[in-house]
Parts: sequence; C-alpha cells; structure tokens
Amino acid sequence: MSTATTDPTIDLSRPGVPFGREVRVEIRKMIDTRGGVWLFAITALFILLAMGLTLLVLGLNEDATITASGFGEIMALPVSILLPVFAILIVTSEWSQRTHLTTFTLQPHRGRVILAKFVAVTTLAIGTIVAAAVFGALGNALYGVITPHDPVWNLPVADLAWIVAQQLLFFWMAFALAMLLLNTPAAIAVFYVASMILPFMVYPILMAMFQWARDLLPWLNMDYAVMMVRTEATFLGDPIEVGVVDYLRLAFTVTLWIVLPGLLGALRIRRTEVK
Amino acid sequence: MIEVQNLSKSYGDFTAVDDVSFACRPGRVTGFLGPNGAGKSTAMRMIAGLTRPSKGTATIDGVEYTAIPNPATQVGVLLDASAQHGGRTGREVLTIGARMMGLPASRVDEMLALVGLTDKEAKRRVRNYSLGMRQRLGIAHALLGDPKVLILDEPANGLDPAGIHWMRRLLREYANRGGTVMLSSHLLHEIQIIADDLIVIGNGRIVASGTKEELLRVAGTRVRARDMAALESALTAAGLTFEVAGDAVTSTASPEEVGQAAADAGVALVELRESDSAGLEEMFLQLTSSNQRDVITTEGVPA
Ligand SMILES: Nc1ncnc2c1ncn2[C@@H]1O[C@H](COP(=O)(O)OP(=O)(O)O)[C@@H](O)[C@H]1O
Ligand SMILES: [Mg+2]
Repeated sequence: MSTATTDPTIDLSRPGVPFGREVRVEIRKMIDTRGGVWLFAITALFILLAMGLTLLVLGLNEDATITASGFGEIMALPVSILLPVFAILIVTSEWSQRTHLTTFTLQPHRGRVILAKFVAVTTLAIGTIVAAAVFGALGNALYGVITPHDPVWNLPVADLAWIVAQQLLFFWMAFALAMLLLNTPAAIAVFYVASMILPFMVYPILMAMFQWARDLLPWLNMDYAVMMVRTEATFLGDPIEVGVVDYLRLAFTVTLWIVLPGLLGALRIRRTEVK
Repeated sequence: MIEVQNLSKSYGDFTAVDDVSFACRPGRVTGFLGPNGAGKSTAMRMIAGLTRPSKGTATIDGVEYTAIPNPATQVGVLLDASAQHGGRTGREVLTIGARMMGLPASRVDEMLALVGLTDKEAKRRVRNYSLGMRQRLGIAHALLGDPKVLILDEPANGLDPAGIHWMRRLLREYANRGGTVMLSSHLLHEIQIIADDLIVIGNGRIVASGTKEELLRVAGTRVRARDMAALESALTAAGLTFEVAGDAVTSTASPEEVGQAAADAGVALVELRESDSAGLEEMFLQLTSSNQRDVITTEGVPA
C-alpha cells in the first residue's frame, strides 16, 4: 500500500476538551443512571427523616433544646452516610461497566480524567453540605415555631468549616480507596468498615477497655484524629491541649487513608491496560 | 490514514501481536480479518492509545491517537459495543459523548436517526438492548463527532443480515466521502460484504493483505466429473496442477483451461466453475483450525 497521500485529516490546532466541560460531564455521569437517582432519592428521604425525628423529639420534650450548630451536625449525618458511594462509583463503575473504554478514548490523558472526577466529587461533597445546611436552617426555624423555645442561630464559621472539611475528607477517602481497588464491592466494604463500622461499633469498646487502643486507634482513624483537633478533647471527653502531635496525627491519618491510596490508585489507573 | 509499523504486544512470554505493519487508506474500507484470539482487538486498542505497545508505533496521519486534541471529533472509535453502562439510556450515552466533545444536542438526534434507533428505543436502558442495538448505538457514538477516521472492532457482530447490509452502505458512503474505515471481524463472509481492502491476521502475525479482489482472485477452478480418475489423468495430461478436495478437484488454472483439457480427453463434466474465494477461505480455515478454536468461522459464530 502506498503512503504517498498524506491527507490533512487530523487537525492538531483544534482546541482540546476544556477542563470545566470534563468536570460537568463527570458530575452528570454520577447521577444519570438508575442507581444514581435511587441513591439521591434515599438520601433525600434520610434528610427529611432526620429533620422530622429531631423536631418530633424536641416537640415532645419541653426540656430539650437545640442550636443551629446542633442541627447542622445532625443534617450532615444523612448526607455522609450514603453519598460517599457516589465518590466510589464514579471510579469503579467505569471498570465494572467497562465504560472506561469510552472515557479514555474521549480523553486519552488519564490524569485529566482522574482530576475531573476528583473535582466532581469535591463539588458533590460541598454541594451536599450546603443542602444539609439549608435543611438544618429550615429545621431550626420550624423548631422556633413548634416549640416554646426561640431558635438559636449560632453556627460559628469554624464549626461550619469543620463540617465541610470532614465531609470532604470522607468523600476523598472513598474516592482514593475506589481508585486503589477499582472494584465496587471491595471499595464500598473497605470504606464503610474503616470509616463507620469499626469507629462506631468496635473501636469504642476497645478504647474503653485498653490503654493501647486509646493510644493507637486515633492514629488509624481519620475521624478520631479530626475530632481531637476540633473538640480539643480525647475520645472519652478528657480535655487536651492541641499541639503538634495532634496535627501530626491528623496529617498521618489523612496520608494513610487519602494521599497514599490516592497516589497508588492514580498510578494504577494510568498504567493499567484498559480492555 | 492509519499506519501501523512493527507493532508488537507481549503479555509475559506470550506475543499477542507480533511485529505487525499495515496501513488503512482514506476512501477505503479496510477489513481486519482473523480468528478469535488473533490479536485484532489488541492491535486496535494500541491504535486508540488504550494499550501500550511493547514495540513499534501506531499513528493516524503521522500522529499518535493520544496526541490528537479532542480526539473523538477526529477519530471515531468503537472497541466494544457491550461496554456501556447498563443503567443509562441509549440517548444518555450519546448525550454524554456529545457534551464531552462539545457538540450541540441536536447531533444526538441526528445520529440516532442515522443508525435507526427510534425515540422509544433511545429512551430504554442499554441493559435491555440486544447486541445488534448496542452495535448501532456504538456506531452512532463513533460517528458523533463527525470524524474522518473510523476504527470499529467487530461492529457487525450481532447484526442480522439486513443490519450487515445497512452497515455496508453506511461505511461505503462514509469512505466515498473520503473517510478512512478500519473494521475487524472474525467472519470472512461478513468482511467480504463490507470491505475493499483486507488485512488477514493469525496468531498475532499478518498472513495476507491486499485488495479484496487480489486476495479472492487466487481462487481458481472447481471441477467435478462422474469419472474422477479420468478427469485427474486428463488434467495431468494437460499439465495443469490440481488438488483433490473432497468429491471435487480444484485447480489454479482457469475454468476455460480445465474445461478444454477435459473436453480433449473426452471426460464428461458434472460441474465446472470458478471457485469463489476458495483461496482466502481455505487459508482462513487453516488459520482457524491451527488455532484450534472454532472449526467453522465462515458462518455466524459469536465472538
Ligand atoms: N492481558 C492479557 N494477558 C495475556 N494474554 C492476553 C491478554 N490480553 C489478550 N491476551 C491474548 O492475546 C490474544 C489476542 O487477543 P485479542 O486481541 O483480543 O484477539 P481478537 O480480538 O483477534 O479475538 C488472545 O490469545 C488473548 O488471550
Ligand atoms: Mg476481539
């Protein structure tokens, strides 16, 4: 076959895909499947449920009071339970559904794809916290209406910043584990066991019983490390003076659960053969 | 033009694609034919930048796929029609592609119409699509960005005969407008219908390439007589080379020469005809059986 004709078929001066467009497409891909719609619907239900239950308890119990800050905390719970699954699926579903074939032919630079997904996950995390804050404010206002107490509008910026930061760390951890494992069930299992089941059901028992657990576990659990810096207290409520060690502990857990799996995962995605 | 030069891919000590070189020219539909496991998909993934070659290069107009800006608007790729998210509708699959490429939403409707997916079908989840519908969706996706080059891996797989003829017309018109088409298949009859040029691959190596006419011309003549022994001695007397193939004899000589030889010896013939594609078909069958996979690949065997 002759190679004489070199048609200018390929236009190298054409603009590439703008990053903002990639991020918007990734956000769309999180919610345009049946699974995505269900996940959002259930989360919305959880939010309403949490708000309703809180108001019910407050309405029935004259002595109970709440502040905007407390409402914010409560509303952050339902959005942090299920939604990290989005941060996992945005990565792993590309592998399980094999859509990565399409994704990486539309954008062959895999680092860019990872970055776009990261920004999409971050956007979702912040967006859901804003939604939680709106519902929290709504709940707080209703609280003023249905109970004899006046609503307390005291959500300090620091508190809000911590809630957002924790939500981000949660989502990023899910995202990093998903990149490392590239497998939906495995990533979901590891994420929930490490971030919810152990710290809520296993660690408290160990920490109540053993000194080594009180020493060691905060170094293995991001949530504990955050809480110690944030509340200036240990898990058992003893006040502490927050110092270098506490920030180091926080940095260590972030490295352990986000930076390390994230970097290894990104490397894996860039190297792996897509087929 | 797609150009592949000394392309190789090894997995451990197994060489899936072994020093392969070929080109697919604009204005032509190039068929990439080979039995299952021959290395077609691996080669195409290397062209599309999804698999890193162990050796050699694959370029499109001298450029690697990964270096092309907004590549899907310049090179349309369909590597696996079943690799779509089952929970998305067909329309949504195309919409995502169009968004990513920066195309207007109307382009999605145009492509759906072009591949014959109705509005109702487009609203269905891909999970409920037949393989043929997925192929149409995949072709629509490859064509979305109006590319000048098309790379399609087994696109006719799962299409019914009418679908294959539809695809032939589609790709023919595309090539007539100057487009470059590379499509793979493990079925000779399928590729015979659609392609102009053929590249035949077996066990990772190119075993034949050229225009379809060139490759099919090797054919020769198929002849049968009631008295086969007499026919054989007549052909020997005339100095024609031949082979006994089952109940017939095939010869590389033309039907005219064979008929004359038989007539000269007074042998009555039962059948005398050009053996269509026998050369290629035989070569292909040999390739296939030496691979010890499917025994018959000229009929519809799923990939
Ligand atoms: N990751 C891999 N490891 C080992 N062998 C592989 C791998 N990927 C593909 N192969 C082998 O490479 C050969 C070519 O495969 P493929 O390109 O898919 O063939 P085709 O598309 O022609 O059917 C097959 O024998 C296949 O088993
Ligand atoms: Mg294949």
